[in-house]
Amino acid sequence: MSQVGISVATEFTLALRQLRREFRLPEYLVLIFALVLSVAAVTSVGFFANRVERAMAAQAATLLASDATIGSAQPIISAVRQEAQSRELVITDVIEFPSVILNDTDDTALVSVKAVGSDYPLRGEVRLKKQLQQADYAATAGPASGEVWIDPRLAGSLSIVTGDQISLGELQFSVAALISFEPDRAGDVFQMAPRLIMSANDLDQSGLLGEGSRARYKLLLAGEENQVDDFGEWVTDRDDANLRFQTVEQGRPAVQSALVNVRRFLGLAVAVAVLLSGAAVALSARQIAERDMDTSALLRTFGARSSSVMRIVLIRLTLLALIAIALGSIIGYLAQFGLSALLAQWFTATLPDPSLLPLVGGISCALLALAGFCLPALSKAVSAPVVGVLRRDLPKARPSAIMVVACGFGAMLILLSWLTRDILLGSLLVVGLVLVLALLWLISRALIAFAGRVRSPFLRKVLEGLRRRPNSVSLQISAYSVGLLALLLLAIIRTDVLNDWQRQIPEDAPNFFMVNIQPQEVPAVEAFLNTRGVTDQKLYPMIRGRLEAINDRPIGEGGYNNERSRRMSERDFNLSFQDMPRADNKVVAGEWWPENTNQSYFSVEEEFAEETGISIGDTLHFKIADKQVSGEVSNFREVEWESFAVNFFVVGSPAALIDKPASFVTSVFVPDNQAGFTGDVVREFPSVTVLEIGTLIERITGILDRAALAVQYVFAFTLAAGVLVLVAAVLASRRERFHEAAILRTLGASRRYLARSMSREFIFIGALAGLIASTVAAVLAWAIVEKVMSLDYQFNLLLWVVGIVAGIVGIWIAGSLASRPVLRQSPLAVIRSQV
Amino acid sequence: MSIIQAIQLSKHVVTSEGTLSILEKANLSLNSGEAIAVVGPSGSGKSTLLALLAGLDSASSGEVHLLDQPLHQLDEDGRAAVRAGQVGFVFQSFQLLPGLTALENVMLPLELASFGDARERARAQLDLVGLGSREKHLPSQLSGGEQQRVALARAFVVTPKVLFADEPTGNLDRATGDTIVELMFNLRAEQGSALVLVTHDQRLAERCDRVLTVTEGRLQ
Repeated sequence: MSQVGISVATEFTLALRQLRREFRLPEYLVLIFALVLSVAAVTSVGFFANRVERAMAAQAATLLASDATIGSAQPIISAVRQEAQSRELVITDVIEFPSVILNDTDDTALVSVKAVGSDYPLRGEVRLKKQLQQADYAATAGPASGEVWIDPRLAGSLSIVTGDQISLGELQFSVAALISFEPDRAGDVFQMAPRLIMSANDLDQSGLLGEGSRARYKLLLAGEENQVDDFGEWVTDRDDANLRFQTVEQGRPAVQSALVNVRRFLGLAVAVAVLLSGAAVALSARQIAERDMDTSALLRTFGARSSSVMRIVLIRLTLLALIAIALGSIIGYLAQFGLSALLAQWFTATLPDPSLLPLVGGISCALLALAGFCLPALSKAVSAPVVGVLRRDLPKARPSAIMVVACGFGAMLILLSWLTRDILLGSLLVVGLVLVLALLWLISRALIAFAGRVRSPFLRKVLEGLRRRPNSVSLQISAYSVGLLALLLLAIIRTDVLNDWQRQIPEDAPNFFMVNIQPQEVPAVEAFLNTRGVTDQKLYPMIRGRLEAINDRPIGEGGYNNERSRRMSERDFNLSFQDMPRADNKVVAGEWWPENTNQSYFSVEEEFAEETGISIGDTLHFKIADKQVSGEVSNFREVEWESFAVNFFVVGSPAALIDKPASFVTSVFVPDNQAGFTGDVVREFPSVTVLEIGTLIERITGILDRAALAVQYVFAFTLAAGVLVLVAAVLASRRERFHEAAILRTLGASRRYLARSMSREFIFIGALAGLIASTVAAVLAWAIVEKVMSLDYQFNLLLWVVGIVAGIVGIWIAGSLASRPVLRQSPLAVIRSQV
Repeated sequence: MSIIQAIQLSKHVVTSEGTLSILEKANLSLNSGEAIAVVGPSGSGKSTLLALLAGLDSASSGEVHLLDQPLHQLDEDGRAAVRAGQVGFVFQSFQLLPGLTALENVMLPLELASFGDARERARAQLDLVGLGSREKHLPSQLSGGEQQRVALARAFVVTPKVLFADEPTGNLDRATGDTIVELMFNLRAEQGSALVLVTHDQRLAERCDRVLTVTEGRLQ
């Protein structure tokens, strides 16, 4: 034997030579387009989402005034401070406590003091006004020593204007400004008296905080995401119950769910684009593999080893991947610039630069798509029988169905789980695909059987393509259905998710909370609200209590699911009572108590119950104003915290709590004159605290609007990928169509006859693919929307109409365009090219 | 010296209707520089015999020795290694790679056998078959006769010890076919290659040293 194998250089030369000529072939173009598209989709959305998420996170961070906070009941120890500084995090202090101020006429008012460092806030801005009616402006630093900023309500109740002196503790302060917006105020709406912000430098001299004073200490942190995360781990590892680390995402449920949904949905849209591109890759790989079978057999006839041929294939695929990655990344990078420019007006701040992470995503995606969708077919081509060079009649070797399915679904599962950052969602999509393909297989088989027996001349014409090319038509129906399914699914979820977001924060969402309403004030407050056009308000009793034990297990003896549940159980929290269930709370387990019951029952919010390990039938023991209150858990409720309605983790039956000291609380929507509303309430009900949440809602709605725009942009990529699948599927059958058309035309068929015949076939395939895709999309959408996103889903017949019409129109157009060369080609040229 | 030796060579395939015998206990010996023609009706097993002798397929039983290597004991890669640089092929359907130019097609067996001066040798061989000016053309830009000439250049460029030709004129008109046959026999004479020629064409068969007939899988 004269040789032991070809050198890698020769393999490289052969691969390059082959690729240089063949990449202009339609199947290679589809493969490259599909790869470029998936890389572009992943990277552009990656880059853009990366920037938007960073902008959103920064904006959401304004709700914490930082990227993260460490909270404690005691002053933050210096070790924590030093560690944060050594990690190059920016820090500043916030200390909150209640106190009383006096104005120059000795009127007093309870205030919630917030002493802040000079860098406060680290994220977002405090907005101030010099006078109530003036426009507000952003503070550039915390209050100077000797100055305070106050809540406008204080200005109203104590007749203070800016420049006046107030006394707080042992010091006199000058009122420098009125607070128009305070970023991190939203976290503790129920405990707040009117706000007063002072400099932390004045704290010692003021004598406000002595031994045992009740204050909340916070260290605000800002820095790079990974630095903040690392520091969070460091704090958690200290296992100090006094230190509570909180990031933006953990901080606010509404913001958290918005960010998680945005990430998930962008990922889902990209995943679908990549999946469709994967389908196009698989279709073109099949054709490339057929061509490679001949090449492989010939190379081995001339003495190449199988391993060499395989390496040549791999080199070629790697070169293709490199081209696609380079092109896709460039397109992706440019596309995100375009999008950012398009959306510039929506962002108050310039978007931060993207990180390079999306490039890794693009590269992995291209390689995974090739490995999962392309390699099985090509590796089979490599082992095609060598004797094929002598015998053209040998059946084409196809990779084993199990191999293709396993590789394809494996790749899909990895891609989808990674892109949606959710294994459950990824698995659901893959299961959906398996079901679709199984369904398609059954339908194709049934149709092939039906096509053989049909008598009606019209139906025979419609089904003639299926009779002549059963496998090819089945494949096209599968590809079309998968493409349509993805597009329909995305459209449904997009509509539903966006609607739900908007629904959760409706136009008339409450814009004021009113707390500390004394029981005797309730009728007067209701009457006052009626005069302001607020008629549907409900005042809820609020009772402070501490959970002491669940059945015989005292709180604090462990057994919690996690640290959060321990904290939730151990802290003081607000209880309420009511006789009848509320319309906006849904009882999800157990039964609401009987009307006018004289038994003590509790209704617990379902997630709180799950985290703290409370079950239906358990007995909860609360300590309320030094008295023991016990009752049985009769039901769990589902609460939409994002709605801004007043809600409680635990609600009791009136018998349990009606005789306990309570204040009342409500949230109301006041359409106009909001500034006047606050002043009027403060004047009429001095002890009632009014909190304006309109500003906060506006900010959250703004975040969601931006998310919706980003989602629509991603949708364009998915649409492009869907079109590519349609084209790939038509191209996949083009060779057969060329041959068939040449024979038919040689036998005398006119172009018109062929065009009609093809149109009938495309319409039939389109209608069938539309029907299947709509049906499966409806089922999958229901599963995803209801089970994964915990939103409501409603079936709509319009989906089927849209699906079938879209199937027919899309496939007819794509099919007719891709088949035009078939009609134009002369029969002789076609027959010659088959030799 | 024997270049090919087949002993009791059989090929059976299993079909849904039972086992089908394609070639039955064929014995054959081919000496260096010798030319044999294998003739017989369509489906008689001629191409199967050629495939087994060249190691393109494996026999159900029996032995094949090609260039002193026991093909029946080698796997597919082992058989490929025996062919590399020592065996030439000419096919009825030319079997040029459509993506490669005429020159690149001729270079292919040289590159696979790790010849250092593949381009120069291929160019010289193309000149020999009269297609030096068409080296950059793709197969689709060449006529059938030209494609088969490229295939001849590819077959002879490695100076093969043995050439396998399967109906080399089957897809050509008579005049073109005659030209190709002349060229093939001339090149063979120059290089001293042995030849196994499968053909329907009695005239062509008679130009060989021996004519073997295959009828219903039996070699006579």
